[in-house]
Amino acid sequence: MKQTPQELLVTQRMQPGVITLSGFLGIDQRPLNEIIADDAQTLLRLDITAPEIAERMQYLTDQSQQAYEGGIIIDGSYEVETEITRGKLPCPFLHRGLQRKTVTTCTHLTTGITIRWTALNIHMIKEHGFFEGKGSPFRLEPGTLIKVLFPDAAHRS
Amino acid sequence: MDINAFILFWAAIFTSNILLTNFLGMCSYLSISREVESSFGLGMAVFFVLTVTAGLNWVIYYHILVPFDLIYLQFIVFIIVIAAFVQLLEMLIERFTPALYYTLGIFLPLITVNCAIFGVSLFLVIRKYSFIQSVAYGAGSGIGWLLAILMLAGIRNRLKEKMIPQGLQGAGISLIVTGIMALAFIGFSGIVIVQ
Amino acid sequence: MFVSIIQDIGITSLVSGGLALILVIAQRYLNDYGDCKIDINGKRLITLKGGSSLLNALSENQIFIPSACGGKGSCGTCKCQVLEGGGPLLPTEKPLLTTKEMTGNVRLACQIKVKSDVRIHIPESIFNIRRFQGVVSKIEDYTYDIKGVIITLTEPETIDFKAGQYVQLETPIYAKVRQKVGRAYSISSDPGNDRQIQLIIRYVPEGICTTWVHQYLNEGDQISFTGPYGDFFIRDTSADMIFVAGGSGKAPIKSILEYLSRVGTTRRMRYLFGARTCKDLYLTGEMHAFEQVFDDFEYIPVLSKPCPEENWQGRIGYVMPVFPELITDPANTEAYLCGSPAMIESVKKALIELGVPKDRIYYDSFG
Repeated sequence: MKQTPQELLVTQRMQPGVITLSGFLGIDQRPLNEIIADDAQTLLRLDITAPEIAERMQYLTDQSQQAYEGGIIIDGSYEVETEITRGKLPCPFLHRGLQRKTVTTCTHLTTGITIRWTALNIHMIKEHGFFEGKGSPFRLEPGTLIKVLFPDAAHRS
Repeated sequence: MDINAFILFWAAIFTSNILLTNFLGMCSYLSISREVESSFGLGMAVFFVLTVTAGLNWVIYYHILVPFDLIYLQFIVFIIVIAAFVQLLEMLIERFTPALYYTLGIFLPLITVNCAIFGVSLFLVIRKYSFIQSVAYGAGSGIGWLLAILMLAGIRNRLKEKMIPQGLQGAGISLIVTGIMALAFIGFSGIVIVQ
Repeated sequence: MFVSIIQDIGITSLVSGGLALILVIAQRYLNDYGDCKIDINGKRLITLKGGSSLLNALSENQIFIPSACGGKGSCGTCKCQVLEGGGPLLPTEKPLLTTKEMTGNVRLACQIKVKSDVRIHIPESIFNIRRFQGVVSKIEDYTYDIKGVIITLTEPETIDFKAGQYVQLETPIYAKVRQKVGRAYSISSDPGNDRQIQLIIRYVPEGICTTWVHQYLNEGDQISFTGPYGDFFIRDTSADMIFVAGGSGKAPIKSILEYLSRVGTTRRMRYLFGARTCKDLYLTGEMHAFEQVFDDFEYIPVLSKPCPEENWQGRIGYVMPVFPELITDPANTEAYLCGSPAMIESVKKALIELGVPKDRIYYDSFG
């Protein structure tokens, strides 16, 4: 599929060293809209929407920030910790507002799977359905994400 | 052609919509119709460029190409005129309305290769329109194109939440929607004959 | 035949040449904005050729508005008040401004082009900001992820700053990073030594600047920065003081303490440092040493998760429960906080509950 100038501009902002050190696309060679479309297919198959995922991630992140420092057990099934560093990052999609530099580490206690995400991850999933390119340090596989965030719904797939 | 320019203007919008009856300008129509806002920006740019280049190309065709017997070069010359005009327009917009430049600016270069614009320039030659008719036809076609892309963007917005068979998602469903829209527009045809 | 070919080529060239000429003339006319004046706070007047961005125009005249992304319109730190001549608000600015800022004529200096006479308002302290060149004279490892970097200034040779302020380090082009960025770090050394500054920098995964400092920067390297920025500095009163820091938030407090030890003070001071394990503690000896220097000072590190094998003798838990026993006269106490936003929020709440006046809580929240 051809890309619009807007998509090309966004892709340019996702390159290493523009907003973050390694960028958002990893080793993914696919055009941006294909990455988003492919993940959207996966979500459709799993019968869930990107905003639902983002909402759940936001909930866990907010809960973990109640803890002044260190990890916290949430709902008896997750151990979550959010680390915040100085500074804010813009959205590569030229979106309004800045996101804090946070890294949330979340371990699902039953399965032992650990995933981590940033505030920017939540924003990009919610607003743009973007889970980052394959091989990117903060790539979130929708499949794994759902397994951790919605363990009860996993059988739907 | 003996047809009132005013009638031609409306005819170009409805009865012979450049996109829905001639299927010209499909590329950007399909790729930038995801959001209503950006399709409106592109549509406005197309409208403006179409109106002006139709007039410009008419002048160049009848006052330069015909007298010097250069009609076989019309394709090249038309493209050059369109490209140069788009460039000039870009500069003017950047200078005088920077806000519009940023919303519209990225779509402007795309317009140079929009075949609807080139198509209009060729039609006005084939159909032997007068200068006034050409400008009216250009403006009407521009509004017609804007109308078509706005409708598609609106429909695609609604389709986002609908279940669409996997193989038909994206361009597939858009083409089907366009086909149905074109069928609906056939209802207008026969009222005025422009060609 | 031959003549007609020549004629055809000639006409076509004439048409394209004519159009090209129109474009060239248009370009020349449209891009010439003539001389423009920038009026800053009604105090300074700069005259320059129009066409460049406000941010660049100002920095060419040695006025440095803070900017982290180098004029790409992505960080939103170069906000300034443009009272006249800014033109309409651009779509590239909107994402980074709040509604209140938009109505208050706040704009992004990097996005506005100087096309006519401009009148702007900037905080007075910005006049003090300069660009400095320096050489890295020492890099120390404080913990597994925190380094102390000492920079000796070369051009200009001295810096005038208040204890607690920060500078903006410029990252050069290295490895995958293809453009310069600027990142803010607090100065951790005494302003009395105006030929050197020290920064305490904690490694952030995926951080453009911290990765450079931790993995690429060597002693003897050239380095450049702008500064000083910020309004987090010591207030000259006689009230009691409580310092609360976490992580690399120790830097500005260290600067403040070194400054106070040089000028001397009899104020009552308590310093709480919150960390997770013993591995995160650093400069402990130096901080305890201040207890001998000041009349009434105590350094209290508090660990939230000391590992059993570390045999930690000090306090365990969060810093907030310690406040009641340290703060004897809440109404007459100034609090200086430095750390993550979450930490500052909870500490602020606890302090206000104790009765510390809200306007006496000063903090340096990250970002």
